[in-house]
Amino acid sequence: MVGFNFSESPERQLLRESVHAVAASFGHEYYVEKATSGGKSDELWKALATQGFVGVNLPEEYGGGGMGLAELAVVAEECAAAGVPLLLFLVSPAICGEILSRFATPEQCAQWLPPLANGEAKMAFAITEPDAGSNSHRISTTAVPSEGGYRINGTKYYISGVDEAAQILVVTRTGLDEATGRATLSLFVVDSDAPGLEVVPLPVEIRAPEKQFTLFFDDVAVDPSRCIGGEGAGLRTLFFGLNPERVVSAAVLNGVSRYALDKAARYANERQVWGVPIGTHQGLAHPLAEAAIAVELARLMCDKAAWLFDEGQDAAEASNMAKFAAADAAGIALDRAIETHGGNGMATEYGLATLWGIVRLLKVAPVSREMLLNFVAQRTLGLPRSY
Amino acid sequence: MFPMNVVVCVKQIPDPAAPQSLEPGTHTLARSGKLIMDDSDAYGVEMALQLADAAGGGEVTLVSMAPGGETSGLRTALAMGAAKAILISDDALKGSDALGTAKVLAAAIKRAEPDLIIAATESSDGYTGTTPVQVAELLGLPSVTFAKSVTVDGQTVKVERQTESGFDEVTSPLPALVTVTAGVVEPRYPSFKGIMAAKSKPVDTLTVADLGLDASTVGAAGAGQEITDVAEAESRSSGEIVVDEGDGAARIVAFLETLKVI
Repeated sequence: MVGFNFSESPERQLLRESVHAVAASFGHEYYVEKATSGGKSDELWKALATQGFVGVNLPEEYGGGGMGLAELAVVAEECAAAGVPLLLFLVSPAICGEILSRFATPEQCAQWLPPLANGEAKMAFAITEPDAGSNSHRISTTAVPSEGGYRINGTKYYISGVDEAAQILVVTRTGLDEATGRATLSLFVVDSDAPGLEVVPLPVEIRAPEKQFTLFFDDVAVDPSRCIGGEGAGLRTLFFGLNPERVVSAAVLNGVSRYALDKAARYANERQVWGVPIGTHQGLAHPLAEAAIAVELARLMCDKAAWLFDEGQDAAEASNMAKFAAADAAGIALDRAIETHGGNGMATEYGLATLWGIVRLLKVAPVSREMLLNFVAQRTLGLPRSY
Repeated sequence: MFPMNVVVCVKQIPDPAAPQSLEPGTHTLARSGKLIMDDSDAYGVEMALQLADAAGGGEVTLVSMAPGGETSGLRTALAMGAAKAILISDDALKGSDALGTAKVLAAAIKRAEPDLIIAATESSDGYTGTTPVQVAELLGLPSVTFAKSVTVDGQTVKVERQTESGFDEVTSPLPALVTVTAGVVEPRYPSFKGIMAAKSKPVDTLTVADLGLDASTVGAAGAGQEITDVAEAESRSSGEIVVDEGDGAARIVAFLETLKVI
C-alpha cells in the first residue's frame, strides 16, 4: 500500500498504557496537593524515570531509551491524560535533553545526560528576559570571557522549575555578528546554586508543582566546559531545542484535553436532571463532540511534528501548528467540560478548574498564539513580515 | 538453588472499562475487538517473575486461549518480564465452557513442563473460578487456591491460603498449581526497556489439532454447559442514609446492635 499508516505499533500502545498506569497511580489529587502545598512531583518523576519513561528520547549510551520526540510526546500526553500535566517535560527532557544529545561533546553528554535519564536530576531552561520576550535577538544577559572562563550578568524571568533543577541551561549573548548586527548567542550549563545567582519566586495563578522564577545573574562564573555547542553557536542550537518544546507543549495540552473530555463524557452519561442523562441534550453533546474533533486534529498534527523532527526534517511549521491547535483545542475542551459539570465544574474535587491556569498558560507560552500566527502567515502563506 | 520454570495462565478479556455486550443466541460475552490482559492475572505474572528470580534461574511462560490470534494482553505480560508465550487460538474453541478451556490450557501447559503453574483465583469476565483447579486435576497435579503468599523452598511450595477467618499454611510438593489473590504481590508496570524487549519474545500460536485434542471435546461442541437465559440482576434497595447531626456515632452503634454484630 502506498501512503500513510495511522495505526500505533503494539509497543507504542503499551508505552501509552504503562505511562498512563504509573501516572494514574498518583493522579490529579496528588498533583493538586503538591501544587497547593508547594511540594514537588519528585515521587512521580522518580517513578516515571525508573520505568525509563522520562529519558525515553535520550541516547541509550547515556541511559536513555534511545527513541525520539514521538515517544517523549506519548509520555507527556499520557501523564496529562491521567491528570498530571508536568511542565518539566517541556524543559528537562525536551529542550535540554534534545539540545545536549545533539550538540554537547561526548564528555558533556556523559556528565549531564545520565542524571536526566535516570531522574536523579532535572535541568531547567532560561531564555526569556524582561526586555526580550519573543525576540531572542534582544537577549541582554551577557557571558564575557574572564580568567579562563566566563562571567554571566543579566536577568531572566518566567523560568520554570529552577528550585527542583540541579542545573539551568542559560541562553546568553557572547558577541555581535558584524554581518547582521545581531547578537551571537551561547548556551551554558549553570548550577542552580552557583554563587552570584539569585533565584526569586515569581508568583503566578497556575496550579502546578513547577513554580516560576526570576533569575538575577551577578558575575556568575562558568567554566568553558559548560558551554554547549561552542561559543557563538547559540542561535542554531537554540532553534533546534524549541521545536521539541512546542511539540511536548502540544502533547501536554492534548493530554489535558483528553482528561477533561473523558470526565465530561462520564459526567454527561451519569448525571440526570430531567430523567435522562444530560448528555442526551444536544446543547451539551454537540459542544463536546466539537471539542473532541478539535482535540483529535491537534493530536494528529502533534504526531506529524514529532515524526518530522525524529526524521531530521524541518519540523518548525508542523510544531508551530501543533502547538497552536493543541492550545486552542484544550481551551475549548476544558471550558466545555466545566460547562457540562455546571457548578461542579469549578469545585476543586472535580479536578477541572484546577487545570485552567496551565491550559491558559500554554496558550501564551512557551510561544504566544500571535507569534505562531505570524510564522504561519509568513512561512506558509508567504505574507509580508509585520515586525 | 533450583531453576524454576513457571507457567502463568493469562486470560485476555474485553476491556472492562468499555461497554460490554453478549452474543445473541449463545449469551456469551462478545469478544470481538482488542482484548487486554485480565488485571487479576497481573498478580500471577508478578509472583512468577519474583519466584523465578528468587530461584536464581528459570523462566516464566504464559499460556492463554483467545480468539483471533489475539496477543495484546500477552504483550503486556511479556513486557513485564515473562520470557515467552503459548497462545491457543482456534475457531473451534468458540463457546468453550470452563472445563473445555481447562482441557486446552492443560494440554498447552504440559508442553512447557513447568515446576509451578500460577493462575488467578477467577477471571474478571467469566467469574466461574473453576478453570484452574480443573487444569490441575487434568494434569494430575495438586492445587492450592487463594494464595496470599507463595514461597518456594527446593521442591516444595509454601502457601498462605486466605480463608474467611484468617489463613491456612499449606505446603505442597512441586509441580503444583497455585491460584493467587490480588493481595499476593504488587504487580510492576512494564518499563520502557521491557516494552521494547517484548517485541522480540516468542509467541507460539497453536490450534486444537496442534495440541492433539479432539475438536468435539472442546468449544461449543464439547461444552457440557449451555446458557439458556440471561436476566437483569435484581437492583438492591438503596438502604438508609443517615445524616450526622452530632448523633452519627450513636446511630451507627444502634444499627449494628440491631444486626447483633456488637
